[in-house]
Amino acid sequence: MLSVSGLFKQYISYDGTPGGGVFGADFALKEGELFTLLGPSGCGKTTTLRAIAGLETPQKGRITLGSRDLFDSQAGINVPMYDRDIGMVFQSYAIWPHMTVFENAAYPLQVGRKNKYSSAEVARKVKEALDMVGLGAFIHRPSTQLSGGQQQRLALARAFTREPHLLLLDEPLSNLDAQLREHMRTELKQLQKNTGVTAIYVTHDQSEALAISDRIAVMNEGKIVQLGAPKEIYNRPTSEFVAHFIGRTNLIHGDLASSAAAGSTATLATPLGPLRCFFPGAAQARSGIAVVVRPEHIRIRKAGAPVEAEGDNRLNGKLKAETYLGEIVEYVVDAQDASGGGKEFLVRTPFVQPIGPGDAVTLSFASERTIALIEA
Amino acid sequence: MTTRPEVWDGSAAPMRMSVARRFGVSPLVGILIAVLLVFLVPPTIYLVQTSLFTTNFDGSFDQFTFRFYLELFTNPRFFNNLVNASIYAVGSAAVALTLGVLQAWIVERTNTPLRHYVFLISIVSLGIPSVLYTVSFLLILGKAGPLNLLLMELTGSTTPLLNVYSMWGMVIIEGIDFAPLTFLLLSSVFRSNDASFEEASMMSGAGIAQTFRHITLRLATPGIMALLILIFIRAFESFETPALVGRPGNVNVLTTEIYQSIQSTTPPNYGQAGAFSMALMLIVILLLVWYNRLSRHAEKYQTITGKGFRPRVMDLGKWRFLTAGLLVLLFIIMIGLPVGIVVYASFLPYYEGVTAKSFTQFTLANYAQVFNSQSFKSSIGNTLILGAATASLVCPFTALCAWLAARRHRGAWILDQLATMPLIFPAIVMGVAFLNVFLHMPFAFYGSLLSVILASMVRYLPYGMRYSYAGVLQVHRELEEASALSGARQATTFLRVVVPLITPALITCWLFVFLLSVKAVAAQILLVGPKSQVIAVTLFDLWENGQVTELAAMGVTWMSLMTVVSTIFYLIARRYGLSIR
Repeated sequence: MLSVSGLFKQYISYDGTPGGGVFGADFALKEGELFTLLGPSGCGKTTTLRAIAGLETPQKGRITLGSRDLFDSQAGINVPMYDRDIGMVFQSYAIWPHMTVFENAAYPLQVGRKNKYSSAEVARKVKEALDMVGLGAFIHRPSTQLSGGQQQRLALARAFTREPHLLLLDEPLSNLDAQLREHMRTELKQLQKNTGVTAIYVTHDQSEALAISDRIAVMNEGKIVQLGAPKEIYNRPTSEFVAHFIGRTNLIHGDLASSAAAGSTATLATPLGPLRCFFPGAAQARSGIAVVVRPEHIRIRKAGAPVEAEGDNRLNGKLKAETYLGEIVEYVVDAQDASGGGKEFLVRTPFVQPIGPGDAVTLSFASERTIALIEA
Repeated sequence: MTTRPEVWDGSAAPMRMSVARRFGVSPLVGILIAVLLVFLVPPTIYLVQTSLFTTNFDGSFDQFTFRFYLELFTNPRFFNNLVNASIYAVGSAAVALTLGVLQAWIVERTNTPLRHYVFLISIVSLGIPSVLYTVSFLLILGKAGPLNLLLMELTGSTTPLLNVYSMWGMVIIEGIDFAPLTFLLLSSVFRSNDASFEEASMMSGAGIAQTFRHITLRLATPGIMALLILIFIRAFESFETPALVGRPGNVNVLTTEIYQSIQSTTPPNYGQAGAFSMALMLIVILLLVWYNRLSRHAEKYQTITGKGFRPRVMDLGKWRFLTAGLLVLLFIIMIGLPVGIVVYASFLPYYEGVTAKSFTQFTLANYAQVFNSQSFKSSIGNTLILGAATASLVCPFTALCAWLAARRHRGAWILDQLATMPLIFPAIVMGVAFLNVFLHMPFAFYGSLLSVILASMVRYLPYGMRYSYAGVLQVHRELEEASALSGARQATTFLRVVVPLITPALITCWLFVFLLSVKAVAAQILLVGPKSQVIAVTLFDLWENGQVTELAAMGVTWMSLMTVVSTIFYLIARRYGLSIR
């Protein structure tokens, strides 16, 4: 569908010093997929999106949509943005204030050069698009009289009217309030699945990315650091950056005595004692290997309490604090290492038994949930 | 009112006034209004009196009469002048606006090479006195000018084909003369557009031309319309071009008729001048009413917001070389040719058109004469003081007025109206009005440099006001509201939020008022005395005396000086502009 390879774009600031951008991004989209570029601000995700849109000219790389080259630095191809047949929703929505709702949505049909539509067709398509986003009743309203959420919908409708091959969404929900954001995110996903349009979604919000995406490319400092389905990204992070950026996590460093094969479980010597870890990729024997455990994968019980089904790894510690969050409780536990020092562990679990701060507790977690940060 | 769920209306919710302010104007607004009235009331009263009284030889008023108004309707010249002035104003506004929009778009919204130089060049060209600019075009387009010589060569005609002393000559010259200013005013309008409006259009499949027509131009329309009216008014009351171009060809407009009633009639027909002025003012007032109606949609201007503002430019691809070529062509027409011919003329012993023979006669005699003249040196000094003082008084004052007015402080609309009021005075009439005010002062004031500065300040208040207003309008109210909610008083908000945000506009305002005030003739020609000679008036006198080569040498010297001043200022402004972006 869309393939991006070797995409390189570096910004040069006014005084000539090289700045941020994107330094060699490769990925390919499948038909009908919702693909997310996720990363902190300045990671190059928006630059990547703008390069695909044609709003930014990369210095190197190749962008292909279907069978058509949109950009190829070597072949000197650069299709102008108005010929790319890509719909886009801007972060600021860019709803033209001098046009009505109808005029905004009809614009792509009126200005396109490839297809000419009769005014009846334009009216029908606009009506369809507006109905689709639930703005049918607002069709003749001046666009300045729309609320933020409505402007968002209009921006979506406008991007859809031309039935583009690819839909680009640049942090489309970031200007909405939290409740509306969650609502719109579900709606957006539904809309994308119903229409079957392939979409690239840019966001810095990891929970949004996890909820909405078919696949996620996590970006950092101009590079894609991990690409995969949401579950894979969450459960099998391959770097500290991804582990920390997506959700909350506990990080431990340890030494590997003998090499481990890809997909195997091996024992890591850590200051907290030996831990059985899952290795997504092969690793040579070395020190300083990082492993992560998600807080919700850890069980907690009062020291000496009866043992239920438990994971391979076990740690003793003292409960420092608890935060009651309704359906779950968040515990902070000081795990004791051999020298008597502590390492804070975060545990998230349904409220199970009466334990309180100061209690001695035992933590346990499965080896397959103890992930060594090794690329597969 | 129908219920509108989650409707956000940008124009709603004006700031709530404090209780004290509901019962009248705030003290600050009151003081500013008083200051303005002191400067505006005396000349107005004088003007009205002139049109309603017969005037004695010593300038005092005699008998009350409506005669001068009745004569307007019986005088065929009045209607003729009116028609001429309208054609001239529409034509030159169209020329200036076309050139200005084209340049502003290319410079502010595209990636055309060389585009940054247009700003510098426009500022430099503002430093060319109107008289000199008009003269240079008369030399180019005149009977012995290179264009006519070329056309005669091509067609084999033995007589010049083009007569510049005509309506089209006036329209072209005034239009081109006003184009740099139009560009400078428009560039801020175009600059403030959020680029994602255009990007959204390009993503919708629109090409560059379509995007320009449907989005860029439409979003800038309120700004362009306001500017159009401003140029139109300015052309209506312009004096230099009609006096130097139209008058010899017997194409008279209202301003030249007024000038003639006073200068070329013995005894001066003050009454007729007064009645003509009042008629001219009525027209201008009607235009201003229209202008105010337009600017009520001010919310449309509010384009700098706190989020997602990206001043990006459009990639024209290969077309950018075409637009670059266009910029170069405009530069040649607007600056290259006029400056070239003046420089050329400045080296000649006497002027007789562009001929091969004349190149062998080059001499520095004109420059020697200019540099040895004490009066020229003092003329330069006076002009610089005049410009700097006018700009330094006008800009901070209008910035404060504009902000108060834009934020709808109680009574501040009066400030807006008053500061814009000088626009209704044709410059030449304002000169006459102030001349009389100064003559009637109890102490010797007429002819002093201070008197010229005061008149100049009043004259350029509206221009400063427009520039400040545009700057203030572009600051989204939320940015100030955020400051207020952070606990800042209004004065603090003004100094900490508004002033920094409109500083680039203020810098441009200063430069713009400075250059305008030193290039004008009409407002000053009747006010200067032997000790307050200024450049523009000196040049005007030289042309009237037929001293073309001395005029050219003097003009070149002045232009060089202004170029240095403008360039320094441009560099400062650019540096400042960049640091806050």
